[in-house]
Amino acid sequence: MYQRSVAIVGAAHSQLGEVPGSTAIGLMADASVAAVADAGLTPASIDGVIVRGPDDEYCFQQQVGERLGLNAAFSTSLGNGGASQALAVVLASLAIEAGLATTVLCGYARNSWSRTRRSGSRKARMNQSTHNRTREWRDSFGYFGEPATHALGAQRHMAMYGTTKEQLGHVAVSVREHATRNPHAQMQSPLTMEEYLDGPLVAEPFGIYDCSLRTDGAGAVVVTETARAKDLPHPPVVVRGFGSHNNLRGWTIDDHMVQTAARASGERAYRIADVSPSDIDTAQLYDCFTYMVLAQLEDYGFCEKGEGGELVASGALGLDGAIPTNTSGGQLSEGHVEGMLQVVEAVRQLRHEYPAERQVPDARLALVSGHGGNTVCHTTLILEGG
Amino acid sequence: MSGPTQGATTEADHPLRVVPQPTPESQPFWDACARHELVIQRCRSCGRFWFPPSNHCQHCWSEDFAWEPVSGRGELYTFTVYRRAYAPELAEQLPYVVGVVELEQGPRLITNIVDREPGDVRVGMPVEVVFLDFPAGVTLHAFRPRENSRTPSTRAV
Repeated sequence: MYQRSVAIVGAAHSQLGEVPGSTAIGLMADASVAAVADAGLTPASIDGVIVRGPDDEYCFQQQVGERLGLNAAFSTSLGNGGASQALAVVLASLAIEAGLATTVLCGYARNSWSRTRRSGSRKARMNQSTHNRTREWRDSFGYFGEPATHALGAQRHMAMYGTTKEQLGHVAVSVREHATRNPHAQMQSPLTMEEYLDGPLVAEPFGIYDCSLRTDGAGAVVVTETARAKDLPHPPVVVRGFGSHNNLRGWTIDDHMVQTAARASGERAYRIADVSPSDIDTAQLYDCFTYMVLAQLEDYGFCEKGEGGELVASGALGLDGAIPTNTSGGQLSEGHVEGMLQVVEAVRQLRHEYPAERQVPDARLALVSGHGGNTVCHTTLILEGG
Repeated sequence: MSGPTQGATTEADHPLRVVPQPTPESQPFWDACARHELVIQRCRSCGRFWFPPSNHCQHCWSEDFAWEPVSGRGELYTFTVYRRAYAPELAEQLPYVVGVVELEQGPRLITNIVDREPGDVRVGMPVEVVFLDFPAGVTLHAFRPRENSRTPSTRAV
């Protein structure tokens, strides 16, 4: 059984947005150096590396070690897509309690903007990257892109529960409002409901404002034994519990696109952390699309299944709402670093680092989620401030 | 692929860009499509159907299965209407509908919904299979509303 003896002691992100000419490893190095400095540690103290980079970069952890001069008692790159970044913290916690490592660097980097510029047209990329399985069962029918995948879920949810486009809009508008208080966010100007509803359609019911951003960026955290944290500059953010669940049979199977893997992952995390949804002060959810926020709020028990639309429309996601969510602006408005910035934001909120206009009052417990791997993998972290 | 479609079953209406590359497991599925027949694997041990194709029953892992012709009738589980083209050639097809159809036998297929304006497509709609032949010598399945009163395609199963 997990002993809750592990904490996050350092957290940072690189420059975010369009970073011309950037490489994933370069951004990863920036975030890693900043996270270790934030922890008040030196490179010599790092003996674990659990990271992920672009999926076509083999053994990204080896690039990190080479770039930063690190050997590791424990290292790997992860393959659960957007669920990997929270999973890195889970694996670090288990490795540390098992004695396989003492201080683990966890991180993720992407250079989506810069890659697009280098590799030419969208079509060229599409034809290069298509896997046979995807080509056979999806591309042949004109089914491309992640927006459509999540739109299938949103459409089903709307049909089952009467969820509306405007309710999805409340997610986009709420997280944008958070972003206007975050100087690092890619999107700085407020979004009105009218602008949201007028946004160009992509894959119905989604328009552009339902979709997350294209980002060059990286995030990193340093995980170690809580006992080691007493000599460090910041109060430790304890890894109180975690869970995961993976609907590997697929998104279109059973009711996976409506009751997502977040449900079972969350139940495990609440059990291990010995807390309940009403104890959570802030949620940092994987918001690749507006619908995933709404679905996860239900799956995590902040409301009943089918009531997510009403919950988000009530203003629940705001700083003074029932469950302040994605308080950095999230992937919809801060930057899309595949869930890594959700971990960083939770740490900062639990340290009470922010000025009052950006700080969740009395934040003590944060729930962080990761979702991905063809939409079926999920990880949950429950973090606790001092 | 959508909209008024005499076109649903003509070659010109759907310039196919991506040709499926069958695997040994899926070849019988595509061969049947070419004959305008929808076939799904069914386990001889437990009697259940599965899709996409594989050489083991997803339910009991038996390797004893048959490719069974099915009715081609089902219900639209969910769908999305594409409003943005992911390749230049798709631009003139917009808007088109990608749907998930739940067959009467249980498995769900990703497919296109044709013979109905995208704005009139509904979750839960009864649908039936049609087959679209393309110049590349490939035939794909699509589904159309079952109560559709237009000239029925002789190609529908």
